[in-house]
Amino acid sequence: MKQFATILRFEVKGYFKNKIFVGITLFLMGLIALVMFFPRFSSFFEGMKNKGGASPTTNEETGEDTRPVMLIALEDALAAEDILAAFSQTFGSYDVRMAGADAGEIKKQISSGQAECAFVLHSPTAYTYYVGNLSMTDRNPAAADETLLNIYRINNMVQEGLSSSQAEQILSASISHETENLGKDQIQNFFYTYIMIFALYMVIILYGQMVATNVATEKSSRAMELLITSAKPASMMFGKVIASCLAGFLQLLCVFGSAFLFFNLNKSQWGNNQVITSLFDMPLGLLLYMLLFFVLGFFMYAFLFGAVGSTASKVEDINTSVMPITLVFIAAFLVVMMSMSSGEVDSPLMVICSYLPFTSPMAMFTRIAMSTVPVYEVVVSVAILVVSVAAVGILSAKIYRVGVLLYGTTPKIGTVLKSVWKA
Amino acid sequence: MKLELKGIYKSFGEKQVLKGISFSAESGKAFGLLGRNGAGKTTTIRILMDVFPADGGEVLIDGSPVDHTRTSIGYLPEERGLYPKKKIIDQLIYFAQLKGMKTSDAVAAIDRWLERLGMMAYRNKRLDTLSKGNQQKIQLITALAHDPDIVILDEPFSGLDPVNAMTLKEVVKETIARGKIVLFSSHQMSYIEEFCDSIAILGGGKILLQGDLHHIKRNYKRDKLLVRSQQAAKILADPAFCQAGKALDEDGLLLRLSSPEKKQEMMKALAGKYDIDEIKVFEPSLNDIFVEYTGEQA
Repeated sequence: MKQFATILRFEVKGYFKNKIFVGITLFLMGLIALVMFFPRFSSFFEGMKNKGGASPTTNEETGEDTRPVMLIALEDALAAEDILAAFSQTFGSYDVRMAGADAGEIKKQISSGQAECAFVLHSPTAYTYYVGNLSMTDRNPAAADETLLNIYRINNMVQEGLSSSQAEQILSASISHETENLGKDQIQNFFYTYIMIFALYMVIILYGQMVATNVATEKSSRAMELLITSAKPASMMFGKVIASCLAGFLQLLCVFGSAFLFFNLNKSQWGNNQVITSLFDMPLGLLLYMLLFFVLGFFMYAFLFGAVGSTASKVEDINTSVMPITLVFIAAFLVVMMSMSSGEVDSPLMVICSYLPFTSPMAMFTRIAMSTVPVYEVVVSVAILVVSVAAVGILSAKIYRVGVLLYGTTPKIGTVLKSVWKA
Repeated sequence: MKLELKGIYKSFGEKQVLKGISFSAESGKAFGLLGRNGAGKTTTIRILMDVFPADGGEVLIDGSPVDHTRTSIGYLPEERGLYPKKKIIDQLIYFAQLKGMKTSDAVAAIDRWLERLGMMAYRNKRLDTLSKGNQQKIQLITALAHDPDIVILDEPFSGLDPVNAMTLKEVVKETIARGKIVLFSSHQMSYIEEFCDSIAILGGGKILLQGDLHHIKRNYKRDKLLVRSQQAAKILADPAFCQAGKALDEDGLLLRLSSPEKKQEMMKALAGKYDIDEIKVFEPSLNDIFVEYTGEQA
């Protein structure tokens, strides 16, 4: 026990003295501070830019319209004035002008930059949209569709004998509704669940790799020759894994703690941003679940990483050796992420995953966060996970004991297990 | 204090590495554990240090099974290595603590050793900034700082310059004088001859030869004659001697006797027939003994 404490202290100290570890933590905290203070900066800059009020639509000196030009051309005998009025209203940010229905002339104007875009109406329900550069977020055709459809409907209704105000009233009717949520709000929970799952993923994969690399480094530097005669392999293994768990947890605490702190300093600035405010509106119970699944999931994988690390003779071998574990973990991550974004967190696949010890830390946590899970399911899942962690811990310590003395080519899993069985 | 290994067996999978190893070493004396590569020396040392248990046999201290919480062992492994990226003082304290020392005691002992080995200037340096020989001296401290009852030194002199080798010799002699059991494993027979009172030669998982080194040498079969003569070539060509002869150098010969009793007869015959500069019974070095005992174990 004393040995274990010595190893734990040494390993934890190792993380704190590691410049990269400290650097990354500080960098992340700085980044979060930057993000959290961003509204202050941006409102400061916008304040500088908008000193003269709203951006002008006319040039103050020449009185010219500075808005981009949108051309409207009619091929059919349509009510030009109605259409121009309707388009001017819909596209307030454009200087909407009528033009001749000559496609060549219109194209020339657009390519020369005189106009930004043009609508050539072939009939009341058909048009061609000309644009210089079609941006990904160009919503002009959609807006034009709606405007034209409205004009078309009103015209038809008027022809059928309704007055135009009656027709407009019918078309502008809307349905009001209220939602009363009795379970969890997936929209609100999505973001913080996403961030937590992502943090869980990053920490486990990062620190798991670090455990494996540490073990392999001790082996390749031959410090293991001395260590193995000074300490019990189980103490070494558990000391390492628990130290990296503490370091990872501390790093998360620093990052999330600083996020919480900086958010509260800037709370007034973020007041109307739902995504950000929902992040910090996390229930305490969920935070505790996060802690539970973080610790269990971490141990589950870190033990395996440690065992694999002990079978490698060189640090370079680590990457290939840990591949199977990493793949299982990435698969679990993808399943969870996909069901999260589809909203079906209680799909049969997710239910199965929330019982399998390799996937349950992420899957069960997601289900708890985004849906309502019966208590017994949570208890069963956690119980399976705890038992598996214990089993994997014991097995890994045994593999470690055999692995650290093996040099040469990385042995096959079967060979290792066979010698563990015999030892 | 007396360390005894009795009938130690160990197999890894199908391969039987140790087939009943027994030897004993006493405090205040150095014991040489010899053997060719792969003879089972490291496995024996690891069993002694409780890295893994033996399949059979026992390790005794003064007649009772060894209690590793009470008997401390210091070990200088053949494959050297500590943490290359960590500060020397930090890792030395760590290893001393693992051996059960309190931090304050560890620091005092380590500083004493750093001073003794002339390494104080490197106290706060990273290990990988040191030369190989200096790294080895640091490693030696991990074996000695906790003042162990048994010190196991595996190839302690490899890689050391003559001055450092001299320092290490002094340290080893002091350790022996302070009543510790020193277990020596080396392929440099001259060092074994210099320090060790008794030896054991391992081969094929068995003890091939063991006992007091002087005794072994004295009882070695005195059935070879060392002959120096200007006519060495002629002697070798002489049918009376050539079958048992072997040229050593230009004027040296080694003649094997069919039995030690034939010594006088052979000497007279040689002296009567040829011009002999020197003739004496061949005294083997430890090296010769080692080669003879382990040579067949290919």
